[in-house]
Amino acid sequence: MDAIVKVLNLRKRYGAVEAVRDLSFSVQAGEIFGILGPNGAGKTTTLEIIEGLRRADGGEAHVAGIDVHADPQSVKAVIGVQLQEAGFFDRLTVEETINLFGAFHRQRLPAAPLMKSLELTEKRRALVETLSGGQRQRLSLALALVNDPKVLFLDEPTTGLDPQARRHLWSTIEAIRKDGRTIVMTTHYMEEAQRLCDRVAVLDHGQILALGTPADLVRQHAGTSTVALALESADADLRGITGVEEVSQSNGDLRLHTRDPLGTLHAVVEMRRTGQLRYRSLRLEEPTLEDVFLTLTGRRLRE
Amino acid sequence: MRAFAAMLATSIKTYVRNRGAVFFGVAFPLILMGMIGVAFGGRDTIQFTISFVDEGNPQVATPLLTGLRQVPVFRIVEESRASALAQLKEGDRSLVVVIPARGTTLEAFYDSSQEQSSRTALMILERFVAEANLRVSGAPALLRVTSSPIAGERVRFFDFLLPGILAMTIAQTGLLGVAPAIAEMRERLLLKRVMATPVPPLAFLGGLLGRNTLVQFLQGVIILLMGMLVFGAQVHGSLLQMGVLALLGALAFFGIGFAVSSLSRTAETANLFGSVIFFPMMFLSGTFWPREFMPEAIRPLIAYLPLSPLVDAMRGVSALGEPLGQFGGAILYLLGWTAAAFVIAVRRFRWE
Repeated sequence: MDAIVKVLNLRKRYGAVEAVRDLSFSVQAGEIFGILGPNGAGKTTTLEIIEGLRRADGGEAHVAGIDVHADPQSVKAVIGVQLQEAGFFDRLTVEETINLFGAFHRQRLPAAPLMKSLELTEKRRALVETLSGGQRQRLSLALALVNDPKVLFLDEPTTGLDPQARRHLWSTIEAIRKDGRTIVMTTHYMEEAQRLCDRVAVLDHGQILALGTPADLVRQHAGTSTVALALESADADLRGITGVEEVSQSNGDLRLHTRDPLGTLHAVVEMRRTGQLRYRSLRLEEPTLEDVFLTLTGRRLRE
Repeated sequence: MRAFAAMLATSIKTYVRNRGAVFFGVAFPLILMGMIGVAFGGRDTIQFTISFVDEGNPQVATPLLTGLRQVPVFRIVEESRASALAQLKEGDRSLVVVIPARGTTLEAFYDSSQEQSSRTALMILERFVAEANLRVSGAPALLRVTSSPIAGERVRFFDFLLPGILAMTIAQTGLLGVAPAIAEMRERLLLKRVMATPVPPLAFLGGLLGRNTLVQFLQGVIILLMGMLVFGAQVHGSLLQMGVLALLGALAFFGIGFAVSSLSRTAETANLFGSVIFFPMMFLSGTFWPREFMPEAIRPLIAYLPLSPLVDAMRGVSALGEPLGQFGGAILYLLGWTAAAFVIAVRRFRWE
């Protein structure tokens, strides 16, 4: 498949702050591409340049073969944009809002199926100001989809939602992808990136630190898995256990950092049977994108 | 075009659903009109001070002045020509009437900077003179006032007040309605959401302008009807010309409101900024009483306010039955404000 979004050497500066520094990446048609980074990393600026909302100081961005800089209006016609915290006309109903934004496009989808797929049908006559946070986000998605876009840009789609609404939105986003749309999204929730994204770019201070599938990133940058034991007693050389590279203790747990989690697990279970190790419980902790970020920057995502 | 129509329909819907806006647009001006009417209208209107210069014709002067002293809106002063004209220049006289030693043609002087109150006074004077002539039963007109003839109907206080209230409502909707509304759309990132679609900004803003114009028009019609039905006000001039003026005013104050929104960071600032402009202007521009009631020192400044030409023209057409063409200068001046406001608004416009 060909790249549907291409970004080359993008730069943007606000005064003394370099928000985006020489950013390059491309997004394949049909994938969910995540931009993961802490607040202020340049995620929103990057997205808004590609969406034709901001001018870059340098570099290029193409969406579906259209140069964003040269023809932002044509780009806006083929993409759907969900902005962070953007408002609505409070005194309009859900259906009126969708129809209004439909009228802003040459090509538009009818409101009824859109509301159905986003589970807004029963709220169609409700004024927007009465909607819950999750419903507002789904309406925002409906507005982004109303022109049947090729590429959907979602800026922190689940920020501010409770866990249940967040999971609900995740399945909605997955369903949208199944319709054959490409999705580019930003997030600072590593679970979200891990669950939804085919590929993730880790962004910090306007630069891409790493780019790949979540699994690849974890393998390359997050280091070892951990077998955590609530240890009672040990009568063995813990460092000699299969795969173990390092041993540490925290919160009363014995933590075995391992390159071979299955081998280590097997050995630990066997040692319990033979009485060399006594422990109340055992847990395997796989590294996550959070650890990737920690390794790459020395900071946590939500600091 | 579809975007424009949708935007127009939408903003009308959101307006109608906003009870506060409807109240301020229609009920507030009417209540104000009622209150001012009760406060001032009961004393049978404003007063005009008229100087009479008798150049030695007591046969005419004595009955005329005796009669005129019965007219409650007139304060009659007899003085020398020099003193009268000096007072007129000072702005302390609405009219100076010279009764010549011979002949029956009265000569009236007025200060063109105070045209409005002078014309009103003159009209009442003419009416009085016409009645006086009639009372001399059948005889050919004894007295005539030389001055441009005006449709000679009695100007009641509400006739005078109604066009002022109409002009005030137009300015109010622009400064207290449009300005915070656009600023709020920006503050709540609604404008940004719109900008993320390919809709041309002109279609979007045009929809807002169209809504404002329509709303202004409907408000005006309601206030006009209520003014006529409840307060008995009369429109002496052309309704069509009033409509044209209302349209020009709506455009001008949309522009000014839009400029205020572009110059304000938040909706709250826009509201404050709009109020700071609107409320003093409402009192100063002669919406409720003639501008001649204002201290002379600030009168030239008041004439520069954008509401002043609108009040003058609407009052001239509505209360005095004057043709629109007479207010070409005022209209041009208002158009100048309109153009300047739109230039500032568009230049300083930000989507977020």
